[in-house]
Amino acid sequence: MNMHIRNGMRTGMIFAVVTIFLILIGFEITATRLIGGRIGNNADSQAVTPANLLIFFGFLSLLAGVSAARRMEPDTWGKVLQAGLAGGSVYGAIIALFTLLIGSIHAQGIDMRKYLASVSPEDMDFYLFEQSPLNAALIYLAFFLVTTLLFALLAKFIGHSPARSALDASLKRLQNRLDQIDWLTKLRTSRYLRYAIYAIILVTVLLIPQFAGQYWNYTLGTVGIYVLLGLGLNIVVGLAGLLDLGYVAFFAIGSYTVALLTAPEPHNLMWSFWAALPVAVIVSALAGVLLGIPVLRLRGDYLAIVTLGFGEIIRILSKSDVLKDFTAGPRGVRDVAQPILFGKAFNSDIAFVYIIILACLLIIFVTNRLQNSRTGRAWIAMREDETVAQAMGINTWKAKLLAFAIGAAFAGLGGAIFASRNQFTGPEDFSLMVSINVLAEVIVGGMGSIPGVIAGAFVLKGLPEILRELENYRILFFGALLVAMMIIRPEGLIPSSRRRLEMHIDQEGPDSEGETIEISPTAANQASSSRQSEL
Amino acid sequence: MQSAAPPHVKTPINTYRIVQIIIGVLFTSFVVWRLYNVLFVQAIYGADTWVRFVLAGLILGSVYSLIAIGYTLVYGILFMINFAHGEIMMLGAFGGYFVFEAFAAIPSSDPNINILNAYPWLAVIVSFIVGMTVASLSGYFLERIAYRPLRGAPRLVPLISAIGASTFLQIAAQLLFGSQRRNYANPALLERGSGWTVTIADKPVIITYTGIFTLVLSITLLIALYTIVQRTKLGRSMRAVAENKQVASLMGIDVDGVISRTFIISGALAGAAGVMWGIHNGLVYYFIGFIPGIKAFTAAVLGGIGNLPGAMLGGLFLGLIESVGPPALGIDFQLKDVIAFSILVLVLIFRPSGILGQVLSEEKV
Repeated sequence: MNMHIRNGMRTGMIFAVVTIFLILIGFEITATRLIGGRIGNNADSQAVTPANLLIFFGFLSLLAGVSAARRMEPDTWGKVLQAGLAGGSVYGAIIALFTLLIGSIHAQGIDMRKYLASVSPEDMDFYLFEQSPLNAALIYLAFFLVTTLLFALLAKFIGHSPARSALDASLKRLQNRLDQIDWLTKLRTSRYLRYAIYAIILVTVLLIPQFAGQYWNYTLGTVGIYVLLGLGLNIVVGLAGLLDLGYVAFFAIGSYTVALLTAPEPHNLMWSFWAALPVAVIVSALAGVLLGIPVLRLRGDYLAIVTLGFGEIIRILSKSDVLKDFTAGPRGVRDVAQPILFGKAFNSDIAFVYIIILACLLIIFVTNRLQNSRTGRAWIAMREDETVAQAMGINTWKAKLLAFAIGAAFAGLGGAIFASRNQFTGPEDFSLMVSINVLAEVIVGGMGSIPGVIAGAFVLKGLPEILRELENYRILFFGALLVAMMIIRPEGLIPSSRRRLEMHIDQEGPDSEGETIEISPTAANQASSSRQSEL
Repeated sequence: MQSAAPPHVKTPINTYRIVQIIIGVLFTSFVVWRLYNVLFVQAIYGADTWVRFVLAGLILGSVYSLIAIGYTLVYGILFMINFAHGEIMMLGAFGGYFVFEAFAAIPSSDPNINILNAYPWLAVIVSFIVGMTVASLSGYFLERIAYRPLRGAPRLVPLISAIGASTFLQIAAQLLFGSQRRNYANPALLERGSGWTVTIADKPVIITYTGIFTLVLSITLLIALYTIVQRTKLGRSMRAVAENKQVASLMGIDVDGVISRTFIISGALAGAAGVMWGIHNGLVYYFIGFIPGIKAFTAAVLGGIGNLPGAMLGGLFLGLIESVGPPALGIDFQLKDVIAFSILVLVLIFRPSGILGQVLSEEKV
């Protein structure tokens, strides 16, 4: 069989499976509601109409058509037509068969929710356009066949129209001309521009809470705490290269320290927040060292599993009845003190946003200074190759313990603020998912890069809040996003320059964007050799 | 040989020895004190209770072993933690669950008895076949979609991809099948809680059918797997790929194919473990794979990752520790995971390569 027809059929099959999956988890209804709310401009009447359902399916077939058309080289109109036809017919046929099957089950009056939790009878009626299964199947067959074919042809048309190539060419010319202007290049690489941009960002960040509502301030605070955690883990994983899956333990320790010191129950110590805060940070750092000592000799994945175990130990201990008198057990600690400054209590979300921003700024400053210090360079050397680092005279034990301690201290700070903001701390806040989320944040953002970690926190914690209508689906997409991200852009959203070089060493040399100027040829060589050793 | 370290640099090995000795002495004295206390001072448990604990531990451990094999096989070949392996086990458990439900729904000629109880062994066999197939297929596609594009990427990248896949599978199962806990409808033959009664120290001890079934079947599967890896051509090529991918491909081995097959085999074992988990423990929902997955990985590390007998032994050992450890040390049962993870930390401090030593060289780890 011809290659392009086979590719078309494969595309059709993949998209059919994805579509069936989306229908089985009931996503088509949510999507229809979203489309109805957004496009129809009437958010209150949640317009669930067949037209909106078809818009959603049309979007899927758009993707299918484009990917069916994209897969062949060299492509002619005839091949695109064949591929689109093959893809569309396979897509339509599978969906039609599925519709027949599920429709006939539905037509017998069986409620499928006992086994398929998201397929309710009302949703089924809607999906079948209130028609008989056969009619609905025919509608879907025709719909997917026609739209996939059309979109495939459209993709070919847009991809090869003269307008597009002209646009590309003029963009390139503009780029070249801009590169030739001297002062612009200087401005682009100058540090003052960077400072100016930082200042603008800072002012914006400081102003946002004034205008945002309570809910958004709360969300912003959560994102900020995750920035704190991410920056701490960034030191352990991103700089020192120690894979830590139990990072939540230090978050928990910081949180519990403040809670136990300030709350009336179970110890009635009633410290003030400001007195408890440094204690929490120090206790967390000590816990980091304590964890660090036994795992000093371990590398890579062994370290990951031990730290994971440590995180679980802390959570289980805080939850258990054994330590009930000490940590209040599964009930958690209530009435954690909130900070008081100049006689004014910080008890609103907006006040906490400012505290968190302040803490973030402090941590960013510290991280930045550490990164470029002797210690930071020792960490990076250790990350790249521990044996060589040791041979170069780096005391890897000291460096590792320091990384654990500082990372843990940041997490402790985050935990302290977290407990105080919620006025509560309990074992349920410290599940393994927190560690995984923070790790994902560091890696999605870009390991070893401060702006990357901040971006990661916004993507992984802020974006889901914006997409709140998607409920559980957003966690599903979070998982899929992680996989996709690792395949498409493993170096992260805003990678550190060194990391970018490592990941793309075979494709490109050092490019001349603002940040990369500090990279010397030796760094590139180092990156390439480390990659070779890893293979 | 020149001595490398200048005099002012402390050699880290000595410090580490001291740490090891301190931790070792503390731990041993703690265990001896608790054991003495429980066995001779308090003596709350009779012989029958201990037998029950050991049996429960062996059964749990055999399931851990099956899952741990999957981790070890994949780790041995790709050097990555397949974080989604527990979720594959969960999908296998769901596969078996639906087979039992389907059998129970079909009426038979005798109105008092449904097909499930009319042909119990057929139902069990079909449920295992379906569960293992579902899990194998998910394992295969997991590798194709989430791991294969990442060959040759730095070590953290596939790990994150695996975490993403794990989240995805878990939530997908939640959205598809709902979050309620479902009861596994065992055939009456394998009813939970029923079994042979043995008298030990004048007290009855029930040896459950499901437990013995799980134990026997998983040991059979472990032996089968070991034979495959040691004796067949596929096993030989798997070992070759684990040793050195490049050289293996030069020898005419289809590396990608072998990796796919590894995922299929480990998926099948995880699927079997999932169905057993359902039959023995009786509950299935979207989260059941997560904790056993982590435990099984712990077991694989305990035994020495990349080492097949190590994974089996590690699984049994971990199961025993979890079951016998809390009563033996007189510690609350809530803390069984704490004991399991502490053992892991201790093993790694004293023998970082696991109980059975390692097959891998240090650079690979």
